[in-house]
Formats: sequence, structure tokens, C-alpha cells
Amino acid sequence: MELQFSQVTKSFGDLNVIKQFDTTIRNGEIVALVGPSGCGKSTLLHMLAGLQQPTSGTLTAGGASVAKPSPERTLVFQEHALYPWMTLLDNVALALEFQDKPRKTSLAEARKWLSRVKLEGFEDYYPHQVSGGMRQRCALARAFIARPKVLLLDEPFGALDALTRMTLQSVLKDLIEEERPTVVLVTHDVDEALYLADRVMVFSQRPATVLREVELGHIPKTHDLTAFADVRLEVLHLLGIDTDEHTPADSQGETA
Amino acid sequence: MNNSQTTGVASKRAYVAAIAIILFFWQVAAWFLPDFLMPDVPVALQRLWEELNSGEFYEGLGNSMSRLGIGYGAALFFGIILGLVGGTLDMVRSTLKAAIIILQSIPSIAWVPLFLILMGFGNMPIIVVVAIGAFFPTALSVMNATESVEKVHISAARVMGASKMQMLKRVYFPAVTPELITGAQLAFGNAWRALISAEMIVGFSAGLGKSLAYSGEIADMTGVMTNILVIAILAAVIDQVILERIKHRLLRYQYL
Ligand SMILES: Nc1ncnc2c1ncn2[C@@H]1O[C@H](COP(=O)(O)OP(=O)(O)OP(=O)(O)O)[C@@H](O)[C@H]1O
Ligand SMILES: [Mg+2]
Repeated sequence: MELQFSQVTKSFGDLNVIKQFDTTIRNGEIVALVGPSGCGKSTLLHMLAGLQQPTSGTLTAGGASVAKPSPERTLVFQEHALYPWMTLLDNVALALEFQDKPRKTSLAEARKWLSRVKLEGFEDYYPHQVSGGMRQRCALARAFIARPKVLLLDEPFGALDALTRMTLQSVLKDLIEEERPTVVLVTHDVDEALYLADRVMVFSQRPATVLREVELGHIPKTHDLTAFADVRLEVLHLLGIDTDEHTPADSQGETA
Repeated sequence: MNNSQTTGVASKRAYVAAIAIILFFWQVAAWFLPDFLMPDVPVALQRLWEELNSGEFYEGLGNSMSRLGIGYGAALFFGIILGLVGGTLDMVRSTLKAAIIILQSIPSIAWVPLFLILMGFGNMPIIVVVAIGAFFPTALSVMNATESVEKVHISAARVMGASKMQMLKRVYFPAVTPELITGAQLAFGNAWRALISAEMIVGFSAGLGKSLAYSGEIADMTGVMTNILVIAILAAVIDQVILERIKHRLLRYQYL
């Protein structure tokens, strides 16, 4: 589903968060948004999800104006979005029950999706009884079960340790390749953006403008990102991170 | 969790110790005071046993319990509805809350003359006074909890396409249940006090409060102490056994 921003502006009172933003996200494209904290990335996603409306400008999904949330465009949150009072199975099934599917088929479908994210055997666990990584697997199952045309991810793995994060990035990549939704991923992790995305957009401080857009192309990738070393350094540099390897502070950090 | 079980045993022990101490002080008072002012504990227990084998006692008990059941039940029902609706309506919430806090500070028994005149001598004024006592803490706790339902839980449901009704049933209601139960236990204390005092004042047909007031009128101190004993035991059983059970059942996910 094609997503189109034209002259989208968003402000909260006096605070201009997004200013005349234009871009088109092609059907099936995977776009990563990176940028400093507070620049408005989540706000962009919330507008795409229909949770918030632009102050001015238009935002369309598949040609139709985005006025309210729809299961066609689903959003995965950083954490704590599973319902603590429901088992993992009920959490996933809920996405279908909210679409008035019968409970029995919802549960059967939910079982299938939990096993697709390697959570079989944990159906009857409550979220607080499983690890953070398992919770996000469950969150992915809950997002994919509705077969969304657009998948919006807001730092989905931001709260996980590096190793778990990489495993989940692979899980997500496989799911995206099988289901082929249009994806908008917000992340602080440049490697995650390079690994998953076809295109990376780097945002400036508020009001957010695009500093740089990098086309990576839809090519098969592994976690070995050496081929993208130049892009990686450039993006890190744009985010204001010191990429000079020979600073004294850096070498001190290594001996310590 | 093992923890909750050990604390359960510990709190049972504390209860047994507390009961022993209370009975001990009663007995000490009975030693110092003449029998017609304060009966010995065994004498009161003997009377309690006789009461338990008489039909009259059960008539009073039945009347009191149905007044409590109807009044408390209605208060929970309407309190939950008002709490949920008030908690979601930003416009009226603070006014509503202020109104509840003001009305709550009026002792429920103060309403008796009004409702006696309004509704006439009978069961109704007692039931209404019980309901008033239980309504405010229920509504207030549900309203406060509704207000602080996690935003991400609401956004997630909207994204999954929940209708208003589904949102209320599957998100708001379970989210407020922990606070609702605390409020309901507080409300029970109020309802119980309101019931006994209203029965003492109104004195319509048999009931625990009426029986207590009558024993007082004929200066039957054994009767007074027996009635107080019954009132105390019933309150403890309802609160500590029935309500605690319901709480553990509804919040099962928290105790795993
Ligand atoms: N509902 C709101 N009301 C008022 N201000 C808001 C609201 N939502 C966001 N903002 C403000 O808009 C700005 C952008 O917020 P947003 O959450 O989109 O940033 P972000 O890029 O996602 O940041 P982070 O990377 O830290 O998640 C922030 O300054 C924030 O305070
Ligand atoms: Mg954000």
C-alpha cells in the first residue's frame, strides 16, 4: 500500500514538530527513519497509524486519506503494549476478535502465529512471565496476524539487549519477506536500519527535516554489514556521533 | 508465587492472635464489671450457639444479607458504570470527582431521615443507604483507575480496530480491575456499617442491627455482645474469605 505525505505539518500548540514533510513510500517498500530523540519520528508513525491527525497537509494510504486507525495499518510499540491480564495466546487472538472474528478461529490462528515466532509452548503464559524478547515476538505475532498491508514499527526492539535484538531482527526480516507489507521502521539503531530497510531517511532536530536519504535497494542482506560501512559512518556522522576512531577518549575506553 | 502463600499463612496467624487478644480484653473487662454490664465470653458464646439453633436468628440474618446484597450489588454496578464513563470523559471528570468527594464525606446514615420520608417505612430506605455508602468509593476508584489506564494499551486497541464497546470490555474493564477490587473492599466496609446502623435506626422487620438495638433496649448485655460478635464475624468472613477469594480469582495473572 503506497503511503504519501504531502506538505504534512504537525504542531502541538507552539511546538512545531514536523514541517511541510513530503515523501512517498512505495507499495512493499521498507523504509527506516532515524533521527535524534524528540525530533518527531513517533509522531510521524502515529499519523500514519491514524492515531493523530496532521495539523495541515495531507496524508494518504493507498490513495485514501488517513482519517482513523485501521487494522490494515498496524503499529508495533517499543514495549508494554501487550495486555498484562491476558495470556500470550489471548493477546494475539485479540487482534482478530477486535475484527469480530469468532473466538475459536481467532484462537486457532493465534496458535499458528505464536509458533511462527517460535513461541509454541508459551501460549498460556502471561506477559510478565516471559522475557522481554519473547514479549516482542508476541507483539510481532499480534501485528502480523491481522495481515496488515502497512506495518509500522516504533523502536520495536529498543528495550532489548544487543544479542536478542539481532535475533528478533532476523525474525522480523523473515516475516516481512513472507508477508510483504509496506514497512515504516523507526529506530535508534543504525545497523538495524541498514539490515532491514530498502531506504533510510535521516532526520534533523525538531522541526524534523530530512537530512539525507539513502537508497540501499531491496537486496538480500545478512548481519554482516561491512558492505555498508561507508553509509553507516555517514549516517552516524549525521546523527552527531563521533566516528573518528582515533580520539583519545575512544582508545582509553578500549584499554579500560 | 510462593511468597503470597507464606504471607497468607502469616496473615492467618495474625488474625488468630488478634482474635485471641480481643477476646482476652473482653474477658478481663467481664471480670471487673458486674455480669449485668458485661457478660463473660463463654456466656456470650453459649448464647451465640443457642441463637444459631433458633429460627428467629436466620430470619434476621436473611433479611440483613438480602438488603446488603441488593444495596451493595447495585452500588457496584452503577459505580463501575459511572467510574468508567466519567473516567473517559475529560470534560466532566474533575467536576464529577469533586462532587463524589463532597457527597462521600456525608456519613451514609445521615441520609436515613430523608429516605424514610421519601420512601416510607420499609426495606427500601435501608437498601438505599447501604447503596449510597458503597457507591462513592467504587465510582471514585474506578474513575481514578480509568484515568490512568496506560496510553499505549488504548492506542494498541485502537490500532487493532476495537469498537468503543470492545475497548470498554477488553481494555478498560480489566485494566481497572485491581483498583476496582480495592475500592469494592472499601465499599463493603461502608456498606456494612451503613446496613447495621440503618437497621438499628429504622428497625423495620428482623435484622442484625434491629436485634442489636432491641437487646440494648431491654438491657440484655449478653444479647448485645452476642450481636456484636455476629456482626464482627460476618464482616470478617465476607471481607477476608469471600472478597479475597474473588480478588485472587480475578487477578490470578498477578499472583502467578
Ligand atoms: N501528544 C503530545 N502533546 C504535546 N507534545 C507532544 C505530544 N506528542 C509528542 N510531543 C512532542 O513532540 C516532539 C516529538 O515527539 P516524538 O515522540 O514524535 O519524538 P521521537 O522522534 O519519537 O523521539 P524518541 O526518539 O525519543 O522516541 C517531542 O518534543 C514531544 O515532546
Ligand atoms: Mg519515539
